[in-house]
Amino acid sequence: MSERDRMVWLHDAAKAYGEGPRRVQVLQGLDLEVRKGELVAVVGPSGVGKSTLLHIIGLLDRPDSGTLELDGTDVSCLDLEARAKLRNTLIGFVFQYHYLLDELDARDNVALPLRIAGRTGHAARGRAEELLTRVGLADRASHFPDQLSGGELQRVAVARALAMEPPLLLADEPTGNLDRENSEMLFSLVRELHLMEGLTSIIVTHDEEMAGRCDRAFRLAPAGERSGDV
Amino acid sequence: MRAELHLARRYLGRLRRRTHVATVSGISLVSLALGVLALVITLSLLEGFQSTIRRELLQRSAHARLAPASGRVLPDAKALVSVLRAKLPNVAVTEIVSGTCLARSFADAIPALVEGRSNTHRVAIDHILAARLGVGPGEQVEVISSRRRLTPLGPVPVRVRLEIADVVAPEPGRESGALTVPLDVAQRLLWGKPVVQSIELRDPADPWHLARQVRQALAGRFPGLRVDGLQQLHRSLLLALSMERIMIFVAVGLMLVVASLNLLCNVAMIAAEKRTDLAVLSGLGLTPSGLRRLFVLLGLAIGTIATVVGAGMGTLVAVTLDRTHALTLPRGVFIVSSVPFRVRPEMVATVSLVALGLAILASWLPARSVARRDPAEGLRYE
Repeated sequence: MSERDRMVWLHDAAKAYGEGPRRVQVLQGLDLEVRKGELVAVVGPSGVGKSTLLHIIGLLDRPDSGTLELDGTDVSCLDLEARAKLRNTLIGFVFQYHYLLDELDARDNVALPLRIAGRTGHAARGRAEELLTRVGLADRASHFPDQLSGGELQRVAVARALAMEPPLLLADEPTGNLDRENSEMLFSLVRELHLMEGLTSIIVTHDEEMAGRCDRAFRLAPAGERSGDV
Repeated sequence: MRAELHLARRYLGRLRRRTHVATVSGISLVSLALGVLALVITLSLLEGFQSTIRRELLQRSAHARLAPASGRVLPDAKALVSVLRAKLPNVAVTEIVSGTCLARSFADAIPALVEGRSNTHRVAIDHILAARLGVGPGEQVEVISSRRRLTPLGPVPVRVRLEIADVVAPEPGRESGALTVPLDVAQRLLWGKPVVQSIELRDPADPWHLARQVRQALAGRFPGLRVDGLQQLHRSLLLALSMERIMIFVAVGLMLVVASLNLLCNVAMIAAEKRTDLAVLSGLGLTPSGLRRLFVLLGLAIGTIATVVGAGMGTLVAVTLDRTHALTLPRGVFIVSSVPFRVRPEMVATVSLVALGLAILASWLPARSVARRDPAEGLRYE
């Protein structure tokens, strides 16, 4: 794969938590490459470090060692401010739990990344309403999180992740808390947006069937064992 | 900044839905407002008393005094008075001669200050001397000078018998008795010739800058002259007043510090409760400096509400107590009949700025630790 086609390149990454005898090595010698426009599922047993991998790629966490390049830029040495700005413009997140802010309604939650980027309230709200329409929640724009169902909350979270039109979408078990019907609806929505927006997407999932519908599935093995494509 | 402002507004607006944070925030707000209120009322009370003292000082004391730098007599006093009257036509100029004499009545004989003034033709005795000699208006006092004159019987002290016209309050800061007499009487008693020892000046329009005006008017034409303004004449009293104000400000200001510590705990509590939200905000791209700003804005908002409420209520209470004379004082003991309050806008502004500064500091400390947190940490512990 040429450098120009590559959105994510993680090389020889290692990550451990804790100190001394309580130290747990989560990732070790991990390599992962994701092509632009690819939809990749990350699968593996619980506790193997799937969320940690996603946090490292999403610049929420730093590896203890290794190199990370996003869209051809080495981001390993960036400071906190630069990493935050890059997260705002380059990466969209969908977490297992929606993590919407209780104090904001659906529209303001979706508009949040735009306001952080410095857009005016009017422009941010306009874009938020457009996205809520795309995820089928135009009539729920002024509802607060405690007035929305689980599936609706995750759809709002997807809309928020795409507010800044980021090229990279990271989803950490986005259907983990949903029933079968809502899981199917959400995954279809993510896949549709992935195709329409030309995104590069990495989805952590336990669902083998869902992983099978992605372009590629990457199995994360415990530290010391070999991880790779399924 | 827009996002931080928006979030701070929404957090505070929806705070009432979160009972315990709302309660703690309310307590922080009330304690800070009480601190501001206490400081405004206390300083207004202090300012009320101090302005009464300053007013009395201006009414009864000279605003500037000219005296010889060395020696006891002003050289060329007549020319000096003419220049002053010509250059400063709106300033009252009084020539003075003073010295200690023995004042004697039917009851007692005690040393007293005798002050001859060119602006009076009546004899006035102050309360202190009047009480000691047991005399009042219309009664006579014999004043015996230490100066002697030669008579066929040998040297005898110069003495005059004076009828008291007025009993007046003593000059501020004076504790021994004094007798005020016409200038020529004092000159005859103390010197036997028309000398002037000092010149007092009064300018009610601009008393605090009179000494400077006098120095400019004289322009070095009379060397060997000392010009003292109010600041020099009453240095220790004015210093004591300003020290008192500073000490009271610091002592009562400690209440604000305690209230700010309360606010610090409150903001730290919000930071702990919002750990996940903050991690998500960071994940969405809010920079560490943005997170710091968000928390400082929260503290500043609570501080601003508390300051406005505290300063407003403090001013209202002080003005009401002053206008209604609600707190009365025993008659004859104090120079005022009720507790005076005086609200100075610059004083309220200083208190408000200190309160806001402390509120910013109190919210900046937890904000700093929030900004240092790794975003993944907040998500991991959820």
